[in-house]
Amino acid sequence: MNWELLWKAVLIFTLAGYSLLVIIVIFGGIGNIVDMLHDLLNPPDQE
Amino acid sequence: MDVFATNFQTIDWVIVCVYICIPVVIGIIVKKYIRQLSDFIVAGRSLRLFIAIATLTGTELGLVTVMYNSELGFLHGLSAFHVGIIEVFCILTIGLTGFIVYKLRELRVMTIPEFYQLRFGRNVRIVGGIILALGGILNMGLFLQAGARFMMGITGYSNPAGLKIFMSVMLIMVLVYTVMGGMVSVVLNDFMQFVVLSIGMIIGSFFAISKIGWANLFQAPPTVDSASWFNPVSEGSGFGSIYVIFMVILTFSAGALWQSGTLRALSAKTPKVAKQLYAWSSVSYLARRIIPMLWGVCAFIFVSQTPRLLEAFQGPEALNSQFGMPLFMAKVLPSGFLGLIAAGMFAAFMSTHDSYLLSWSSVITQDIVAPLKKDRLSDRARLLITRICIVAIGVFLLIWGLWFEAPVSLWNYMAVTGTIYLAGAFTVVTAGLYWKKASRVGAKIALYAGLLAILGIGPWTRGENVPFYLSDKFIGVMTFLIAFLGMILGSLLFPDKTEPEEAKE
Repeated sequence: MNWELLWKAVLIFTLAGYSLLVIIVIFGGIGNIVDMLHDLLNPPDQE
Repeated sequence: MDVFATNFQTIDWVIVCVYICIPVVIGIIVKKYIRQLSDFIVAGRSLRLFIAIATLTGTELGLVTVMYNSELGFLHGLSAFHVGIIEVFCILTIGLTGFIVYKLRELRVMTIPEFYQLRFGRNVRIVGGIILALGGILNMGLFLQAGARFMMGITGYSNPAGLKIFMSVMLIMVLVYTVMGGMVSVVLNDFMQFVVLSIGMIIGSFFAISKIGWANLFQAPPTVDSASWFNPVSEGSGFGSIYVIFMVILTFSAGALWQSGTLRALSAKTPKVAKQLYAWSSVSYLARRIIPMLWGVCAFIFVSQTPRLLEAFQGPEALNSQFGMPLFMAKVLPSGFLGLIAAGMFAAFMSTHDSYLLSWSSVITQDIVAPLKKDRLSDRARLLITRICIVAIGVFLLIWGLWFEAPVSLWNYMAVTGTIYLAGAFTVVTAGLYWKKASRVGAKIALYAGLLAILGIGPWTRGENVPFYLSDKFIGVMTFLIAFLGMILGSLLFPDKTEPEEAKE
């Protein structure tokens, strides 16, 4: 088994995949925070 | 080169100081959103997918995570990466199948022992709660110590009193805003810290790689054996087959049932979101392992190329290996960016600490005190007890962190203390959800069996030539096995004659 090649691929995949995830979560997360605070101030069972 | 030489300047201190005030301000602002216990503990079960990913990552990517993973990279080279690969497959499997987390979220429980009561009755919940709190608090026992070492290394503060000073200041900051804001403030801070830390980690990795050189990264330094630098099962790597087996069992069970992580799944808006959360977060879990390990590997290569540093990490008065990564980063990152990384790491320290404090204190309140009081506690009383527990655990951490020096690496210490809870919990929850014959006696035997893992942090595990049956990894694997067998035998020999009262309701 070529360990060197495996760890190279893992490292590249991690750095690229995580960078992409961070971008997605930043944009999606802001909207989610607004919705969460709205839910807490107006619980569904009290609406 | 001076061992504690650093690029950390006044501007970096300013960045750190400004940054760490933000969580306290958030804690004060969101206090108005906390109206009932479920708001405090599971944010009113209102977490949507992306904020849940950020908060799960914020919790599971703490400063201590960075420290123990970088220490693994520093001590074992690229072969340490195998732990990351194992973990990502385990988390992805949980995310794709919904194993355990989907059903738990459907049941609307707030803690794991709450499930014990639903399935096995009140006594099992109390036993499970005590063991969970014991394992969990011991597990975070060295967080403060590791965090303080990072701050000392990165700021270049080599005064022996530094450990105490940094530990005390860090603890006070965390206690203030966790006690005030509960889960809502934790979620908001986790998001902010996810953003800062993630960007810092990605850019920091490029600095580290450019310092060492991409080609050099994949060549074993002359001071170590080439095979063990790459291959985790090769002799001399410090891991071996038993360790790999232990990691598979541990990371799978921790992925599904580690209280602070599972709390995010239980806070999710729907069971489906809980499941999706794990699938998406598998990339975060990979990054939280591989990136710090990469820093540790770079640090070791850097140390092996610098005679003065190499000398400092060898011999009877050698520096603790946890110092390797922060000392390296302090020398390669430019001032300003170093402050941002330190602030991000400090924030990561707080985001992990707050979640763990909240997890274990809510377990003590919900799963030990409340059941003992036959659930006659008001929400107000529970909130007060939870807050008192947070402070009490904090004081314990300070004392334990100053007094205890782990006989094994930081990660191995955490793996073994985590097993105290996980061996029993994984067995009991899996059997409780998926095996009709699982009984109360079987559950209790499995939970008590987890206590065997304490043997894994005893002084007999120290040293190079420890017999395999006394090694922490063997004790860890055996604890899981005994818990599993205990559940099966206990359930078959002593089946339940009646359902627990809670199940009838």
